[in-house]
Amino acid sequence: MKKILMRGNEAIAEAAVQAGCAFYAGYPITPQNEIPEYMSWRLPEAGGTFIQAESELSAINMVYGASACGARAMTSSSSPGISLKQEGISFLAGAELPAVIVNMQRGGPGLGNISASQADYFQAVKGGGHGDYRLLVYAPYNLQELWDLTMLAFDKADEYRNPAMILGDGILGQMMEPFTPTPYVKPDLPEKTWALNTCKDGKPNVIKSLFMGEGELEQRNYMLQAKYQKMKNKEIRFQVYDIEDAELIVVAFGIAARIATAAVRKLRSEGRKAGLFRPVTLFPFPEEQLNDLAGSGRKFIAVELNAGQMVEDVKLAVNGKSEVLFYGRPGGGIITPEELYEKLSGLLS
Amino acid sequence: MATPLSLKELSKKEVLLTAGHRMCSGCGAPPVVKMVLLASDYPVVASNATGCLEVSTCISEYTAWKIPWIHNAFENAAASLSGVETMYRSLKKQGKIDKEIKFIAFGGDGGTYDIGFQSLSGAMERGHDMLYICYDNGAYMNTGIQRSSATPFGADTTTCPAGSVVPGKLQQRKDLTKIMAAHGIPYVAQASPSSWSDLMKKVRKALEIKGPKFMNIIAPCNRGWRSRTDDAILLSRLAVETCYWPLYEIEDGVTKITVKPKEKKPLVDFLKPQGRFKHMFAPENEWMLKQAQEEVDKNWERLLKEEAFTASLETPKE
Repeated sequence: MKKILMRGNEAIAEAAVQAGCAFYAGYPITPQNEIPEYMSWRLPEAGGTFIQAESELSAINMVYGASACGARAMTSSSSPGISLKQEGISFLAGAELPAVIVNMQRGGPGLGNISASQADYFQAVKGGGHGDYRLLVYAPYNLQELWDLTMLAFDKADEYRNPAMILGDGILGQMMEPFTPTPYVKPDLPEKTWALNTCKDGKPNVIKSLFMGEGELEQRNYMLQAKYQKMKNKEIRFQVYDIEDAELIVVAFGIAARIATAAVRKLRSEGRKAGLFRPVTLFPFPEEQLNDLAGSGRKFIAVELNAGQMVEDVKLAVNGKSEVLFYGRPGGGIITPEELYEKLSGLLS
Repeated sequence: MATPLSLKELSKKEVLLTAGHRMCSGCGAPPVVKMVLLASDYPVVASNATGCLEVSTCISEYTAWKIPWIHNAFENAAASLSGVETMYRSLKKQGKIDKEIKFIAFGGDGGTYDIGFQSLSGAMERGHDMLYICYDNGAYMNTGIQRSSATPFGADTTTCPAGSVVPGKLQQRKDLTKIMAAHGIPYVAQASPSSWSDLMKKVRKALEIKGPKFMNIIAPCNRGWRSRTDDAILLSRLAVETCYWPLYEIEDGVTKITVKPKEKKPLVDFLKPQGRFKHMFAPENEWMLKQAQEEVDKNWERLLKEEAFTASLETPKE
């Protein structure tokens, strides 16, 4: 299949359209504006509906409405806008509604700036909004994955009746590179009999996140937790490079993994034993896989574009079997491959 | 004694939004802000919603503002200033401050008509002593010209692009000035930088009134309007002369048109110089020009009637 050249944000939008996204609601914020802009003409052309909301709050709640009616629904934003969406995201999770939420992260906290960052890791994987809930979180590191994981996110959101997030960043959104636009193949998914689009048997469906009856909410939470456990059992994705004999394993996701790949390759070309472990799903996190690699004097280093977030999960996974270090730069800073090479070089024999 | 509103006297005053900011050349917003600040003889504290004005006037470590200035997230200019103004009243009551200070919020149309509307409405209803100024350029220009609820009918933007099926924005713009008047606040006005003296008189009047005030000021954006960079004032004048942007005020419920065009120009005079309306001049889109003109006519007629009606309600002053 022929490769195509596109901008990251547009690749996400086109992948969503091809995956059958029927509804998109968005609101302007840099650096993700190309997603709503592309959707504004492309989605109606494909028979779907595009709405520009008057705020992020409205956009996420439009997604709630569309998803409740059974549509494949999506919204996108960047860090401050994702913060505004948190109430709606919690409601989606609580009401078990599928949706795809794209966060092209920028530097924070507050207004921060508009360059790439990974400082929304905690917000994405630990819940973000109120209550005990989880999103399926995918962390693409190139445009091929932006394409593939966007399609997958729609399928998995439907399969688990759970919101899924694409955790990208300003670099991935703005960059252009060739990739293969793999055609979408819809898997066998159960019919959305729960959706508010039919009263076939004269029985109305109910979708809600409010459970006031004695013990009801607790039961609901146990059910949700069982679902998250099922994700942990079945949905973990990761990639490894040169880890078999590695003395030092870099753990990095998204654009940081892209930077780390260059540094690790350079070290390997010098015969030095560095490897890379790249979680593709951030929730569920590849805990066991990391634990299996730990021990026998091997060191880990989490490399992130933040002040140290995923490193906490790496430490939990390794559980004391290996030393876990951290190298990162918080919002406003970008790690260069040379800088990382120097850092890693100093840690290797 | 207030500075007379003459160019000679005003030119002696310090300009409080300095040169060196990074707004585009030919942008209509900085002249609006300068006029507003020049109109005040009181010290002013300003809040600013996210937008071109905010992002281009406070490039980190520098500021073009010679007054105390606060920015918070997009939707919060009126809320943040509510907090500041309340603190000021408290300090005044405690005798820790005695100066008479005026509070002015600046927001673009995205931050005012759309995402910031809730906090604006709340601040006006609570009655904070502040003047909210919306500089309306009719789209989210800062993020790349996406439509807003202030975008005029027919305009081409990046999220309502004019194509062969959908010819630009299909909805009419929201009449925010009237919505703010419906809050029953003491002063609401619409202004244009092309009528600087009218604009400054209105600001001055607003600042003398205690309580919440709102002004909507047109501010052409050559990037989004696809117009010449030296046409900002000309276009804002055409907006007034075509009655697309009537200059009026509503003081204690009484509507007064402050500048009546001698001759009402056809709306196309305002639309034609702007690339965002180019497709409306295609033969198949003639209906759009007609519809846009009808909307302007309807609103203008209604405004004239409102002026006559509210004047008739007024009890004659002694």
